[in-house]
Amino acid sequence: MIELDRVTFHEILHEVTLSVDSQETLAIVGPSGSGKTTLLRAVLGFVIPTGGIVRIGRHLASADGKLLLPPEERHLAMVFQDLALWPHMTVREHLEFASSDGTRIDALLRRVGLEGKAERRPAHLSGGERQRVALARALVGEPRALLLDEPLSNVDVALRAELIALLRELLAERRRPALLVTHDLREAGALADRVAVIEQGRLVQIGTIPEIQARPATRFVEALLADRA
Amino acid sequence: MGGTLKRAQEHLALAVAGVVLCALVLLPLVGVVAEAPSGALATLVSPRPWLLLLRSCALAAVVTACALAVGLPLGLLLGRADVPGRRAALLLHALPAFLPPFIVALGWFNLPHGNALFSFAGAVCVETAVFAPILTILVAVGVRGVDPSLEEAGRLTASPWKVATRIVLPAAWPAAALGALLVFALSLSELGVPLFLRVRVYPAAVFARLGSIDFAPGEAAVLALPMLAIAAALLLVERRIGVRRSFAVLGLRSEERPLLALGRHRTTATIACWLAAAASVVPLLGLAIRTLRDGGFAQVEIGASAWNSIVPAALAASVLTVVGIVTGRAVARDRPGSRLLDALAVLGFVTPAAVLGVGIITVWNRPSTAVLYRSLAILAVGFAARYAVIPSRAIAVAIAQGSAHLEEAAAVHGAGFLRRMRRIVVPLHWRAISGAWLLAFVFCLRDLETAVLFYPPGSAPLTVRILTMEANGAAAIVAALSLAQCGLVAAAVALGAWLLSGALR
Repeated sequence: MIELDRVTFHEILHEVTLSVDSQETLAIVGPSGSGKTTLLRAVLGFVIPTGGIVRIGRHLASADGKLLLPPEERHLAMVFQDLALWPHMTVREHLEFASSDGTRIDALLRRVGLEGKAERRPAHLSGGERQRVALARALVGEPRALLLDEPLSNVDVALRAELIALLRELLAERRRPALLVTHDLREAGALADRVAVIEQGRLVQIGTIPEIQARPATRFVEALLADRA
Repeated sequence: MGGTLKRAQEHLALAVAGVVLCALVLLPLVGVVAEAPSGALATLVSPRPWLLLLRSCALAAVVTACALAVGLPLGLLLGRADVPGRRAALLLHALPAFLPPFIVALGWFNLPHGNALFSFAGAVCVETAVFAPILTILVAVGVRGVDPSLEEAGRLTASPWKVATRIVLPAAWPAAALGALLVFALSLSELGVPLFLRVRVYPAAVFARLGSIDFAPGEAAVLALPMLAIAAALLLVERRIGVRRSFAVLGLRSEERPLLALGRHRTTATIACWLAAAASVVPLLGLAIRTLRDGGFAQVEIGASAWNSIVPAALAASVLTVVGIVTGRAVARDRPGSRLLDALAVLGFVTPAAVLGVGIITVWNRPSTAVLYRSLAILAVGFAARYAVIPSRAIAVAIAQGSAHLEEAAAVHGAGFLRRMRRIVVPLHWRAISGAWLLAFVFCLRDLETAVLFYPPGSAPLTVRILTMEANGAAAIVAALSLAQCGLVAAAVALGAWLLSGALR
């Protein structure tokens, strides 16, 4: 479970309170510059909120401007928007780096459709294969929670559908809390149980898509819904 | 490894780097101030040292102005214009920057009418020839780093020339300003050229009180004080130019972008560029002619002094590279305390070598540290104090170009600082790190000003040996030793160019 209680970060985030349950996927939706990625980085521990509390499972990760648990001790996993694959490592080396015991690597490679590609480096993979490496790396260490920062923003329409299907399956199998940042409400609807809408660093609405559709809180949310339709 | 220790790895590494930099740079400077005997302060009462300091500052200012006049247009032309063979021309033009300046003076001296150099103007010419390439390189890299979209926006309404002068050059100003500052600092420190050309400068006055019949170390420490104030001022200027802005410009971005078309000015510009490149090689021809004509290599044994140059240079470069990985990465990622460490390293570079040398003598010339002081290690200490900023900045520039996400992805998966350094940062940037080592090595190799003040008896490095032989040795032998020095540097630069060309691919 991930809990944020009145999390504030300078002028970027203002008292954001939300929680992600143990088997839930929560999508954070908002326009560019609304603070979505900063929120994710606060959960990861790469930015220290100037106020409020971040709790991961039973652990207090940061509180009132203090980092209590550094990123490497939070046992989270992240799919970065730019994937952040290490160019000097092969696919297998990526997974070995992220895995504590290395036992599940081959099974996971098969699961994400990368069998036969284990010895390749990122430069010798297609865009879709790189996305799968980033996903496999995130999952191999059995993290407490999975965070995804616009994971499908740089893929074409056909590949997007394929990856959404794979992500849905993996999220359902892993039964871990997941936090997905996106600006696309359709993507959020396809992957998440609930959606949190952020505008100018403030959480303006949170709920399921039908709940949000029934009572959009702001004009931006209305516009998002219209765009989705 | 325990969780607490794992968490503290980065702070510990930065603390160790800080201690090393303090011991190398700050301690000698504190030593200069603390050990300056009050009785010798009378030295500064007379107007003579102040007039000499003014003269040195004037020399440095004129050299900087000349270097700007040469380096700005050449940097623009060789960095971005359609000059045929611009990379080769830049490499040739840059060559003197990697040589001890007085060797360039020696080269010109060995050519016909070489005696004309023995004047203030001669010193300006030689120092401009040596230091202008630093500006050219920084401006060339700077203009290559300018966002192409800025140029494209300008090209919609303006000529290429207007775009170059109104958009590209101003965007590269932090690089030019940093270059001007470096040239001023190097020129103010320069000892070999003024000594050889018999031009009186302030560092020579300090040197005279440490290494000749005027031996008066107390007076040397007092004379160093005004230069310490100048170093502090240079550091402030460097801080104002802005650490991060200079990183934004000094990129290693490699994507090809269209060259600025010079049109009808192309021939003139090409001739100018290649003349500048050729002028850099001419002094070497002077040395080669002298050596071959009089059989210089047959008369001299080079081995020991080359070794005395290589060993401390390699040692200093290695220590500085390890420290530079920690500080450079911290600067690139704006970690707490990184700016202070960077400022310390910059202070070592902008502090005139004479001041640093006096401080090193004050701190290390004691019975308890005699073993170090009487060995080649003291040269490594001096080199490391002066050139700490070079690998640190070079590595910072390389790391700043890469995505922070690559390291963050490792942290998310539980990798502590040391593991991230070992598995991600160093392997990703190994070419740049090797290049940083080589750059530091070359600067240590070309050093004369620091080494000449405290080299161990009987272990003079090659640069010091050339300078001392120049006063009373055969010209052919001096020329042969100078060519050997050039060969050493050329080998290191060639290796560096090969490594960096790989990094840019």
